[in-house]
Amino acid sequence: MNTAGLLTLAAGAGETFGISMLAILLGTPLGLLLGLVRWARVPLADPIVAVVVSLLRATPSVTLVLLVYFALPTLGLEIPRFAAAVATLTLGSMAFNCEIWRGALLAFPADQLDAARACGMRRGQRLRLIVLPQIMRASLPALVNEMTLLIKVSPAVAVIGVVDLTRAAVRIGAQTYRPLPPFLVILAVYVVIIGGFVLAQRMLERRVAGAGA
Amino acid sequence: MTAPPVLSVTGLTKSFGANLVLDGISLAVQEGETVCLLGPSGSGKSTLLRCINWLERPDSGAVFIAGERMGVRGGGNAPMSDAELSRLRMRIGFVFQHFALWPHLSVLQNVMAAPVHVQRIPRPQAQAQAEALLERVGLAARKNAYPAQLSGGQKQRVGIARALAMKPRLLLFDEPTSALDPELVGEVLAVMRDLAGAGMTMVVVTHEMGFARDAADRVVFMDHGRVVETGPPDVFFERPQTDRARQFLMRYAGRAAVPASLAGTAGAGGLA
Repeated sequence: MNTAGLLTLAAGAGETFGISMLAILLGTPLGLLLGLVRWARVPLADPIVAVVVSLLRATPSVTLVLLVYFALPTLGLEIPRFAAAVATLTLGSMAFNCEIWRGALLAFPADQLDAARACGMRRGQRLRLIVLPQIMRASLPALVNEMTLLIKVSPAVAVIGVVDLTRAAVRIGAQTYRPLPPFLVILAVYVVIIGGFVLAQRMLERRVAGAGA
Repeated sequence: MTAPPVLSVTGLTKSFGANLVLDGISLAVQEGETVCLLGPSGSGKSTLLRCINWLERPDSGAVFIAGERMGVRGGGNAPMSDAELSRLRMRIGFVFQHFALWPHLSVLQNVMAAPVHVQRIPRPQAQAQAEALLERVGLAARKNAYPAQLSGGQKQRVGIARALAMKPRLLLFDEPTSALDPELVGEVLAVMRDLAGAGMTMVVVTHEMGFARDAADRVVFMDHGRVVETGPPDVFFERPQTDRARQFLMRYAGRAAVPASLAGTAGAGGLA
């Protein structure tokens, strides 16, 4: 594999990293928002969110990205490849994160909320001071899990022509008739990226460890 | 012109599904009174307490805190908003059976949280007040510990300090010692006796008959969601007026001495 090959791989890594990071940064808080809507049983919004989340969870990423990129223009909405890729991964991540956050919220001890109400805390304060700090810590492993899954599913965006890391490796392999070197390289890159997330998770957990329980 | 009672409950009714838990119950508590709610499990005592600060919404009836209607906007039937409820709840301290401390906050932070965030008291002042309260319940040395590091009795004393932090006019205790090991019950009851002696207005749901006998100004005996008997503790424990009260005392008052008047009666279960 020569310099040109390595450059292609580097460009692919950039695409994968960029798309994944954006989808993670958008999908995690959006998932929290949806989880809160469902937990608070907001009238009208709750059932809609439930249906949308179920549909998104049932849709494979490849299918979803094809729908977003090719089907949306028929409704008059044309978006560039990169945006379609980010949107697809965000939607999927958002749906799974909604369930992660919702699980943590459902498991949250009711008497702590009663104590917060009894002290006169209003809904926003209860959420900000009592609920969120605790569920963020409890949900961290599941959320990071979801992030690593997102990165590993990101090659799906290749079907709309985005040259992500895996696609770049396939290309080089097809050109040089020697697929092994590029595939080994990208394996290492994926391991490094995902390993980075796992490491960050461990550091965060250690930092919040002071509060016991 | 007399001030309205600190707490006035009239005709409270509450059902959970098909289960009628409160059956038109009424109660008034004057300033400085310590009232103990006694009764068998399922008599509605905890539900009554939780209706007072609107943690449960009664189906009908009214609750007045120092003359102000709780839970419902004065006049009509419109339910109060979260903010309006918050304002009234600040006047009521609640101590939970299972402590309900916030585990991610230290002892000091638990006690300071409401004064700082709800009453908007400046931090240094809130901290000084919190430290004084912790001193009062005997936990000044543990102020930087976290709830997981405390014993049950210590956790409950923090719970009491937290309830006191808002300077409430009324303190509600929901079986405060039921979840504690017997050795730890005493330290919590001591704090409660102290508060009662200092003139705090308290409503205590408890099975600690000794405490009820010593510290209560009045005992209210409930069964099936109704007040069956009420009166000063010495009258209730020595000369219960109703059959149900007698039955209850026979079965549950095992820790306090069985009063002479009941000693000769053929007991159904004795100390069940």
